[in-house]
Amino acid sequence: MNIYLVYTALGFYLVSTFIYALSLALNKTFLEKPGYYSIATGFVVHFASVVARYFEAGYTPITNIYESLSFLSLCIAGFFIYIRRIYRVHMIGCIIAPLVSLVVIMSLNFPYEIKPLVPALRSVWLPIHTILSFIGNSIFIVGFIVSLLYLVVEKEIKKKRSFFFSEKFPSLSTLDRINYRCMSLGFPFLTAGIITGSIWAGFAWGSYWKWDPKETWSLITWIVYAILFHNRLALGWRGKRTAYMMILGFLLIVFTFLGVNFLLKGSHTYI
Amino acid sequence: MTVIKSSKKGGGPVFRGIPAFRFLTSVRLTITTLSLIAATSIVGSLVEQGASEEEYLSHYSERAYHFIKLFGLDDAYHSPWFYFLVVIFAINLFLCTVHRLKRLSAAKGRQVPDLAALVSSGAGFITGSANKSEVVRRIGPAYKRERVTETTEVFEKGRFSRYGVIIIHTSVLMVLIGGLVGNISGFKAYLALRPGEGASAAESRTPGRSAVVFGFAVKCTDFRVSMYPSGQPKEYASDIEILDEKGNVLKRGRIRVNEPLSYKGIYFYQSSYGRSNVYTFKADGRTVDIGDREIVRDTKVPFMVVRYAEDVHNFGPGVMVAYMDGDEPKTLWFLKNVEKMRKHVVKGSRIVLENINGQYYTGLEVSRDPGVPAVLCGFVMMLIGLYTNFFTSYRRIYVAHGTDAIIVAGIASRNKEGFIEDMKRIGEGLP
Repeated sequence: MNIYLVYTALGFYLVSTFIYALSLALNKTFLEKPGYYSIATGFVVHFASVVARYFEAGYTPITNIYESLSFLSLCIAGFFIYIRRIYRVHMIGCIIAPLVSLVVIMSLNFPYEIKPLVPALRSVWLPIHTILSFIGNSIFIVGFIVSLLYLVVEKEIKKKRSFFFSEKFPSLSTLDRINYRCMSLGFPFLTAGIITGSIWAGFAWGSYWKWDPKETWSLITWIVYAILFHNRLALGWRGKRTAYMMILGFLLIVFTFLGVNFLLKGSHTYI
Repeated sequence: MTVIKSSKKGGGPVFRGIPAFRFLTSVRLTITTLSLIAATSIVGSLVEQGASEEEYLSHYSERAYHFIKLFGLDDAYHSPWFYFLVVIFAINLFLCTVHRLKRLSAAKGRQVPDLAALVSSGAGFITGSANKSEVVRRIGPAYKRERVTETTEVFEKGRFSRYGVIIIHTSVLMVLIGGLVGNISGFKAYLALRPGEGASAAESRTPGRSAVVFGFAVKCTDFRVSMYPSGQPKEYASDIEILDEKGNVLKRGRIRVNEPLSYKGIYFYQSSYGRSNVYTFKADGRTVDIGDREIVRDTKVPFMVVRYAEDVHNFGPGVMVAYMDGDEPKTLWFLKNVEKMRKHVVKGSRIVLENINGQYYTGLEVSRDPGVPAVLCGFVMMLIGLYTNFFTSYRRIYVAHGTDAIIVAGIASRNKEGFIEDMKRIGEGLP
């Protein structure tokens, strides 16, 4: 049941991607609205699929690669909707819609049968820790997209040749403001994700911190974002430098999320 | 007081003139130590931690191994220089926090910002003096009203928001202190028990440290695994008794995965389980149960099981028993299902293998960490600090009188977009 809802959601995401691409190609901004409504509908259906899977499985469905990627894409779509409502920056959807579609397609490449839960994951901390962590990750992923855009737009303006992106996308100062919003929302969620994970580890493994690779790399990521804050607020780094740090942070998030599981051995090998 | 005015670069004006202090309170030092801590962590996650010399030499060259040893990279998170970095970081954080606290508590005599500039940036408007009471009504009672100068009033909200950073920094210090306490006076150990077995000490998880003695005994009275239909484990649990030296039961409880049991600050966690064999021997007429590598001492010659095989040359299960013949180690096979091979006379003792029983054992993680309360307190503070800093906003709205108009303009520390919206709402429709 839940998987059909995921396919339906993916359909809406793909339609949204198509509409956004069309609006970019034809340079028709009025197409942005249907693109947005399509991704928003996709989000609602996708959310329903998670709820359906929760009832089918009997646990919060963020326990393996398929479920994690699916939930991550849901969070990205959700955060995009949130950002768009505040900043009225429409065209970012041109990147978010294909990204969300891509992550859903990626997730469907992994086994998605509902499996019984291993003993270590049978805990109230499962939903708390995973939801907080993935919200944090998705906010930083949107921040990464915004940073990339920032660098592209900045380059265009400097070269003064084509204004393909800078015409359609928000101004540099708006992008920087969104980036800061991503930092200051993502960081509390990332921290809360690490703290709840640590408390859970205290119950499950007998130690709240044992330098497991997952713990270590999440700490490294946390440190990089902490440095980013201090650079920005105390040393006045803006714009380009923030963008570069956000890109570094994104790479660390991807490594902590996926790289650690595939490349380093540790206790956090549920997905 | 000149102390209050400070450079924005985080140099410590409190200690101005003393270069060492200025260095210790600088943000650059924070960034440097944090970067180095992150770099050490990367190394620590890539180089295997706490392995034996042979394991390292099988992965690295001798020179690389010497390098690893020299810099303590085999235990990076407890190496002297990692401690050094953390201590420098903690001092830096502490001094910065004290400094910030002083600055905040001293920031009483506030200056009115350039209101005209705020108006042009969208965070304000100019209206007729007659509208003042309407403006004040629209600002609402959530803001605290205060007179700053003859002509200017300020409306403030969320002053506490400014303490967010201090709370976060203090919480990081709390976590570090808790971690240090745990490292110094805590332990982590591992214990494997079969049902019916007890222990009063456990093998330390820290390499090279001797066994950890509890000061009481812990006994596993029962162990259960429940399985899913697919054969995957669903849940496993051990029934545990805590006993004093006379064998009186002090505490009883069941530990499951995610549900530890504690006694006198020592926590027992269900971390794993496994199956091991129990071998029942009759030695000189007495029955003894032993596990792998356990020694039977009440025969004329002590012996132990060194190997188990499920099927020895199609004769069924058997064990290889080792004993000392003078200075020479000897081994002997006992086959459970072959009458002739079940019994042997070893140096005058008659030994019979009666039974081989597969049995579960429970793997318990044992730890004591007096630093946990400080760490938990730090965690809670950190969440409160993050909320205060990132989700509440310190807002000031100034109302300044001109000759026949008033300027209404404000500053928000957070969510400037939302603030500008609110300012627009306040000024809406006013001439």
